[in-house]
Amino acid sequence: MNGFSAKLQEWRPLLKYAARQWRALPAILVLTTVGPLFTSLAPWPLKILVDRALVGTNTREAVSLLDRLPLPADKKQLILVAAGASVVLFVLGILLEAASTWVWSLAGQRMVRELAFDLFAKLQRLNPTFHHKHTVGDLLSRLTGDAWSAYTLVDGLLITPWQNVATLVWVGALAWMMDWKLTLLSLALAPALAFTARSFGRRIKRRAKQGRQNESKLFSLVHQTLTIIPIVQTFGTQTRNREQFEQLADSAISISQRQSLLKNTYSLVTGVLTTTGVAIVLFVGARRVMTGALSIGSLLVFVAYLKSMQAAASGLLQTHGAIKSIEASVERVTEILNATEQVQERPDAKRLDWRSGQGIAVRFENVTFGYDKDRAVLHKVNLQASAGETVAIVGPTGAGKSTLLSLLSRLFDPSEGKVMLGGVDVRDLRLEDVRKAVAVVPQEPLLLPISVADNIAYGRPDATRAEIMAAAETAHASEFIERMPQKYDTIIGERGATLSAGQRQRIAIARAIIRDAAVLVLDEPTSALDAESEKLVMDAVRRLCAGRTCFMIAHRLWTVQAADQIISLEHGRVVEPVAGAVAT
Amino acid sequence: MRFWWLRLLRYARPSIRTLAFILALVLLGSAVTALAPWPMKWLVDRVLRQPGGITHARIVQAAWLAAATVAIFLIGQLALIARNYLLNGFGNRATYTLGARLFDHLQALSVLFHTKRAAADLVRRVTTDSACARELLLSVVIPVATSVTTLVIMFAVMLRMDWALALISIAVVVPLGLLIKASYVPMSKRAREQQETETELMTLAERTLSSVPVVQMFGREKYNDEVFAATSQRAILAYVATILAQLQFKIRTGTVTAVGTAAIMTVGGLHVLDGTLSLGGLLVFLAYLGSLYTPLEALAYVSTTLSSTRANAERVLEVLDSTEQVREKPDARPLSAGHGEGLIVTFEDVTFGYEKDQPVLRGVSLQARPGEMVALIGPTGAGKSTLLSLLPRLFDPWEGRVCLGGIDIRDLRIADLRQAVAVVPQEPVLLPVSVAENIGYGRPDASRKEIEAAAQAAHASEFIDRMPLGYATLIGERGATLSAGQRQRIAIARALLRNAAVLVLDEPTSALDAESEKSVMEALAKLRQGRTCFVIAHRLSTIKAADRIVVIENGRVVECGTPLQLAGSGGLYQRFLELQTTPAGSARVG
Repeated sequence: MNGFSAKLQEWRPLLKYAARQWRALPAILVLTTVGPLFTSLAPWPLKILVDRALVGTNTREAVSLLDRLPLPADKKQLILVAAGASVVLFVLGILLEAASTWVWSLAGQRMVRELAFDLFAKLQRLNPTFHHKHTVGDLLSRLTGDAWSAYTLVDGLLITPWQNVATLVWVGALAWMMDWKLTLLSLALAPALAFTARSFGRRIKRRAKQGRQNESKLFSLVHQTLTIIPIVQTFGTQTRNREQFEQLADSAISISQRQSLLKNTYSLVTGVLTTTGVAIVLFVGARRVMTGALSIGSLLVFVAYLKSMQAAASGLLQTHGAIKSIEASVERVTEILNATEQVQERPDAKRLDWRSGQGIAVRFENVTFGYDKDRAVLHKVNLQASAGETVAIVGPTGAGKSTLLSLLSRLFDPSEGKVMLGGVDVRDLRLEDVRKAVAVVPQEPLLLPISVADNIAYGRPDATRAEIMAAAETAHASEFIERMPQKYDTIIGERGATLSAGQRQRIAIARAIIRDAAVLVLDEPTSALDAESEKLVMDAVRRLCAGRTCFMIAHRLWTVQAADQIISLEHGRVVEPVAGAVAT
Repeated sequence: MRFWWLRLLRYARPSIRTLAFILALVLLGSAVTALAPWPMKWLVDRVLRQPGGITHARIVQAAWLAAATVAIFLIGQLALIARNYLLNGFGNRATYTLGARLFDHLQALSVLFHTKRAAADLVRRVTTDSACARELLLSVVIPVATSVTTLVIMFAVMLRMDWALALISIAVVVPLGLLIKASYVPMSKRAREQQETETELMTLAERTLSSVPVVQMFGREKYNDEVFAATSQRAILAYVATILAQLQFKIRTGTVTAVGTAAIMTVGGLHVLDGTLSLGGLLVFLAYLGSLYTPLEALAYVSTTLSSTRANAERVLEVLDSTEQVREKPDARPLSAGHGEGLIVTFEDVTFGYEKDQPVLRGVSLQARPGEMVALIGPTGAGKSTLLSLLPRLFDPWEGRVCLGGIDIRDLRIADLRQAVAVVPQEPVLLPVSVAENIGYGRPDASRKEIEAAAQAAHASEFIDRMPLGYATLIGERGATLSAGQRQRIAIARALLRNAAVLVLDEPTSALDAESEKSVMEALAKLRQGRTCFVIAHRLSTIKAADRIVVIENGRVVECGTPLQLAGSGGLYQRFLELQTTPAGSARVG
C-alpha cells in the first residue's frame, strides 16, 4: 500500500479540486448505488411472463422469488402486470441513471474548469524564460486537454469502481440466489476480458500516438507552408513540400490501416469471449432446464445478467489501467502548478506612488543577470537616472540592452545586485504598482488580433473612448486610424499584418501613453521606419517622454543625441561610448 | 453547388470490384444481425419446451445451438472487419489524394489569394475538410445501406412470423425515428454552442500565452483572469445545457422503447396463449425491438452529416475552383544565366494594385543593368515592396511588363525565373528547423561548406558558432530565440546561397546596429559584383552606396539619378537627406 500512498501524494494537487465538490458526493454515491438495482430487476417481468403466464411452472428452483409476490392467477392479467412492470422498471432505471450522470458531470465539469482557471492564472504569471522553454501549443493542450485528468482521476478512483461494485452486488446477489454455480460460471470470463482490454489498450494507445504524431507533422507542414506563401513561391519549394506531404500521407494511411486492424481484432476477441460466455451459460442453463432445476424464464434472466456482470467485473479489473493512462496528464498539470519560475511579491510589499505626468528616479546597482545559470548576460551593471531624465542605451546586438530594461518591469529578478524605483528595491514593491509605473514600447510592438481601441487600452482595460482617442492623437496615430474602415473598432489582423511598421509602432506608443506611467522604456522605437514615419514617431516619443524618466535603446546615434546620458553596453558591461563607432 | 458529390467522386472513386465486395459484406452483416436471436428461439421452442427430460439427443442439440451463437457472431464480426478495413483504406486514400491536390493548388495560388484569407482557415481545408470524400462514403452511403438492409430484413422476418406484432413494431419505429430526428437539431445546436465557448476560451488562452511579456509588462493578469473565469462560467452553462439535452433525449427514446416493449409483451403474450406464436418467436420480437434503435439513429443522422459533408466539400471545391494564380505559358522559355552573372531588369510602364480600381503602382518604368545597385526610397506605402514583388512574379502587372534579360517574365518558365531572383524580405521568415536548413531553404542540395560560406558572408557565422549545436541548432517558433539582427543575417545568408542573377533586398539592415550594418553592407558590396541588385532602404549609409537612387511616391517614380545628382535637386531625396542629417531628435528629447 506504500505505492498507493505515494500515488495519493502525487495526485493531491488534483484531488484538492475534487474535495471542493464534496457537496455532490453523497448524491452521486446514493444514485450510483440505487441505479444498478434497477438493472438487476429489469429482466424479471420477462421471467414472470414466461414462467407464470406462458409456460407454467413445474420446476423446482432452489429459491423461487416469484412465489413471494402477490401475482394474479389469471394468465391474461399476468401478462398485463408483466408488461406494466417492465415499463415502470425501465423508465425508473433511466431516470436514475440520468440523475447520476447529471450530478456527476456537473461536479466533474466544475472541477475541470477550476483547475483550468488556476493553470491559466499561473501560466500568465510565469516568467518569459519558462515560456521560451514551452511552445504555446504545448501549454494550450495542458490547459484544455490535460485539465480533464482531474475528472478522469476521480472517476477512475471512485465513481466507476463504486458503480461496478454496486452492479456486481445487486446483480450478483440475485443471480447467486437463483443458481450460484451458473453465477460463478458467468463471472469466470471477466478476468480474460480485463486482460485483453489491457494488453490491446496499450498497443492501441501506442498506435494512436504514432498516428497523432504523424498527423501533427502533416499539420505543421501545411500550416508552415501556407503561412509563408511568398517565401515558398520566391524560393520555388512547392514540389519539395508536395513530396513531403505525400510521404506523410502515405505513412498516415498505413498507420491508420494498422490501427483499424488492431481495433477490429480487439473487438473480435472481446466479442468472441463474451459470446462464448453466453454460449456456455446457454448450454449449462439448458441442461438445468431439462432436469427441471431452472425455469426457462430464469435462463433468460441469466443471459441478461451475464453481460452486465461481465462488464462490471472487467471494468473493476481495469481501474488500474484507467488511472495509469492519465499519469502523464497529471504530471503535465502538476508541473505547471508547481512551477517556480515566477517573480514573487513579498507579503509586506510597499506601495509605489508617483504623480501623474511625473517621473521617478531609477537605479541599477551592481546588477548581474542571466537567463541560464552560469551564463550571465549582464555583469555588475550600474546606472542611475534621476526623475525626468532621458537615458539612451546603445551597443551592438546581443549586448544585453533589452534584457537590462526588462528587469525594470520585473519580468525577471537580477541574480545579484538590485533595481530600484524611487529609491526602493523593486522586490519590496507591489508587483502591480511596479508594472503600472513602467510603460514599455517593445522592439516588436506585439499587437493583438483585437480592435485598435482594445489594443491601445491593453494595459488599462477601463480606459474611456475619449482617453483612447487622446492617446492616439498624441502618438500621431489618430490620423491613420480615422482612415481605417471601422476606425477604432477595426480589428487588427494577426500579428498586426495589416498595418505598416510605423503604424504599429505608433499604436504601441499610444498604448504606453494611456498608461500614464512614471518610467518609459523604448526599445528601438524607430528601427523599421522610413525617415518620414520616423519623424512622426520621434515626435510622438518626445511628447510621451516629457517630464517622465525615459530609457531608450537605439542604434542610431542621432536619435539619441538629445538624451541626458548615453550609456554604452557591450557584452553585458557598461563601457565608455566610443565616438567614432556609432557615427552614421 | 449542384453535383458536388459527383465532383468529389472524381477524387474518390472506388473500383467497381471493391464496391461490390463492400456491398456484399454490408448485406452479410445485416443478415447476421437479423439471425442473431434465432439460436435462442430454437433452443426454447425445439429443445426446452419439448417434453422428454434430460436425454443425450437434447443435450447435443443444446450444444449445437450454443455453438451456433458463437459462429453467427464470428461471421458477423469477420464481415465487419473486412468491410472496415476496405473502407478505411479507401477513405484515407481519398482524403489524402484530395488533401494533396488542395495543398498543391494552394501553393500555386497567387499571394493575392492568400492575403485575403487566414492561413488557419486554409490549413483547415487541407487537413480537415479534405475528409469530405471519405465522410460521404463512410458516414452517409454505408450507414444508409446498412440500416436499410437491416430494417428490411428484420421486417420481412417479423411479417412472416406475426403480422400484428410487426405492425406494433412499425408503430414504435415511426415515433422513435421522428423523435431521434427532432432531437438531433437542438442537441447539435447545444453542442455547437458549447464548442463556441470552448473556442473562445482557447483563443483567449492562446492570445495570452503567446504574448506573455506584454501581458506582464502591462499588468494584464488580473483582467485576463476575470475574462477567463467569466468565459469559463459560460462554458459550464453551455456544457450543462448540452448534458440536459442529451439526458432528455435518452429519457424520451427510452420511454418510447419501453412502451413498445410492453406492447409487444402484451400482444405477443396473448398470441403465445392463443398458440399463434411460439415463445421463442416472442423472444425474437423482443430482441429485434432492442436492435431497431441503432439503424434508426443512423438514418436520422444522415441528413445532418450530409449537410456538414456538403459544407466541407464546398470549402474544398471553392479552393480547387480558384484561378487567381500566376500561370506559366505552355511554350514558356528556359532562362539561362551563368552563376554570378547579372541580368538586365526592365520595368516598362507597370501599373498594378491589389484591389480593383486602386492601383498601387501607376506606370512605373525603371531599368537596372548587371552590376548595378539601385536603391528605392520613398515614404511607407509608396509601393516599393510591391514593385519588387513583381520581379519573382508573385503577381502579374495589370498593364505594362517586367523583363528579365530582355524577355517578358511572363514568357519564362516560372521555376527558372524564381531561381534567378533572390529576395531578402522585410520581415525575415525563419522556419522552426535547424539553422543550416533555414539557410539552405531555397537550395536543399547545398553542401554544408556552401552554407557556412554564405553565413560567413552575411556575418552570421560568428553567432551561429556560438549557438549550442552550431548549424544544427533548431530555431524556436517564429525564430524567437534569435534577435532581430540575427534573423536578418540568416535571411541574407539564405539569399546569398541561391547565387541568383538578381538580388532584391527589402530593408536588409533595418534591425542591425551601426557596426553590423557596416559589415553586412561590405559583404553585400562584394557579393553583388556583376549582379543586378535592388535595395529598399531608409538608412543613408545604405543608400549612399547605391549606383542609382529611385524615389517613389504614391506609386510613381518621382526622381531618379545618382546620389550626387539628386542631392542638389531640391526634391524628396534632398528633404530626406536633411531629415537624416538634422535629426528629429534635435527637438530635444525628454
